[in-house]
Amino acid sequence: MTSNGTRWALLGATTATAVGVGRLVARRRRRHQPDRQDGWYVVRRGITVDRPVDAVIGFWTDRERLDRALAEWATLEQLDENRWRCVAIDPAGGGTEWRAELTVDGPGRLSWRITDGPVPQEGHVDLVAAPQDRGTEIRAELRYRGGGPLRRALGLARGDEPDLGLRDALRRIKSLIETGQVVDTRHDPSGRSPAQEQATDKVRERLTTGGRA
Amino acid sequence: MRALCWEGVGKLAVRDVPEPRIRAEGDIIVKVRASSVCGSDLHLINGFLPAMREGDILGHEFMGEVVETGPGVRRLAVGDRVVVGSVVACGGCWYCRTEQYSLCDNSNPQPVFTEKLWGHSPAGILGYSHAAGGYSGSHAEYIRVPFGDVGAFKVPDGVPDDSVVFASDAMPTGWMGADFCGLTGGEVVAVWGAGGVGQMAARAAQLLGAERVIVIDRLPERLGTAADRLGVETINYAETDVLEALREMTAGRGPDACIEAVGMESHDVGPAYAYDKAKQTARLQVDRPTSVRQAIMACRKGGTVSIVGVYAGLVDKFPLGAAMNKALVLRMGQMHAQRYIPMLLDRIAAGEIDPGYLATHPMPLEQGARGYEMFEKKEDGCLRSVLHPA
Repeated sequence: MTSNGTRWALLGATTATAVGVGRLVARRRRRHQPDRQDGWYVVRRGITVDRPVDAVIGFWTDRERLDRALAEWATLEQLDENRWRCVAIDPAGGGTEWRAELTVDGPGRLSWRITDGPVPQEGHVDLVAAPQDRGTEIRAELRYRGGGPLRRALGLARGDEPDLGLRDALRRIKSLIETGQVVDTRHDPSGRSPAQEQATDKVRERLTTGGRA
Repeated sequence: MRALCWEGVGKLAVRDVPEPRIRAEGDIIVKVRASSVCGSDLHLINGFLPAMREGDILGHEFMGEVVETGPGVRRLAVGDRVVVGSVVACGGCWYCRTEQYSLCDNSNPQPVFTEKLWGHSPAGILGYSHAAGGYSGSHAEYIRVPFGDVGAFKVPDGVPDDSVVFASDAMPTGWMGADFCGLTGGEVVAVWGAGGVGQMAARAAQLLGAERVIVIDRLPERLGTAADRLGVETINYAETDVLEALREMTAGRGPDACIEAVGMESHDVGPAYAYDKAKQTARLQVDRPTSVRQAIMACRKGGTVSIVGVYAGLVDKFPLGAAMNKALVLRMGQMHAQRYIPMLLDRIAAGEIDPGYLATHPMPLEQGARGYEMFEKKEDGCLRSVLHPA
């Protein structure tokens, strides 16, 4: 027979643990939320490309290479000297389409603004020479809106998708500049049935998306 | 085509699978002539790395013939007999430029798992689970090799397939283990593990100037082979206290360098081993670091401990105090295949190293599952089963 005292002690200990765990989770979540500024989420991501700044700029201005790089998921149309219109298809499928306007603001700076897409978004990229002999740092800042005001206030907005997309894009760009391709193992042979292959593709998707950039 | 697939923990089977196709400009397709089992496959087969999917084709240590090249391939042509490094390297990133190929930035298309586990993602590895990129392996009739110009090397005529196959992984891994030791001549080097990698590490240490090499294992036939083939001294840890023996053999100093060529499923005797094995079986720790602990304890003050056995996650009871207070140098890593293979092919051609004796059990691909079983249980003196698809 358990005494009342023991029951209260157990209840107390459980509550204390639950509150502690809850606080830990809340803190973790806060740490993983993007910064906020004037109602925008702001994320900054960078990647280092093993080429001098000039070569990286050269990649952006070589129309043929850029077209080839973007072939699978976007088209580019030049509006005037410094502005392009970009129509991108969500690589994850679902038929989502984005329209963006890209502007070259200076020798190592490029900015973009989504003019038509599911999430209001704008951003810019700076190219900075990396220390030692390490090439170029591509530093991107992305601002986007998402979720309702209440969800945002509670920190529940699923705000990480544009961020994941940005990290993916940076990794793709790095690989294209350094190797001319982005490796893909999705269609490598296996002994899987079509159903198993579909499940495995989902796993691949999870292991491909996001990461640290 | 036929291929040896992973079908769940401890289960392998040969299946009919589609043939690989060229998918990028730098790809080549290799018709596999010899494909070796490797100790590191056992960690995958036995489910210690949770990134295997049913149907994955195993195998990463192989050689064969180029049968198709992508439009961007310059260095190779159809018909070339090649050996291919297990790690995939792009050749264009900073790590590749500085010959640290196993750290390539661009060759793992599925880097999220290892980024979470290790902070950064190293190179992809052929046939080595979805953590290492999800590439199909070489225990098959054909394999697609990305960045063919970087990863595949023409093999000198006259060197048999079952010898040169080890230039893919076991030899460069062993060589890197010895290279880490910074030998300048006259050292005493101890090597844990008398498998393919350990024996190649022992040979590399000799060629790099070690005066004495001592190999440690528990299998008398493997120790016997090492002694006969390489002229090394041996310790059987099942019969002898290794630390005591190494101290005696070096008049109290301890070996100048210790190479660990065992990995996460290390064996030992006694209660500490039972404790490790129980924790690993319950998945409370990923790796069994028995031989690393021993290497750290045995190494002379200020010496080098070089780890080329594969570890994946967290270890318990790691003697960091011994390493710190003895001012040890710890070096470790997956091998930079592309850095070492051309030099190793030269040395094979010159007769300085002859790894062919490691291929104790050549067999058809169809017997792959049995080949792994013999290898894991060390049946019939099996050092390596080498599979032949054709």
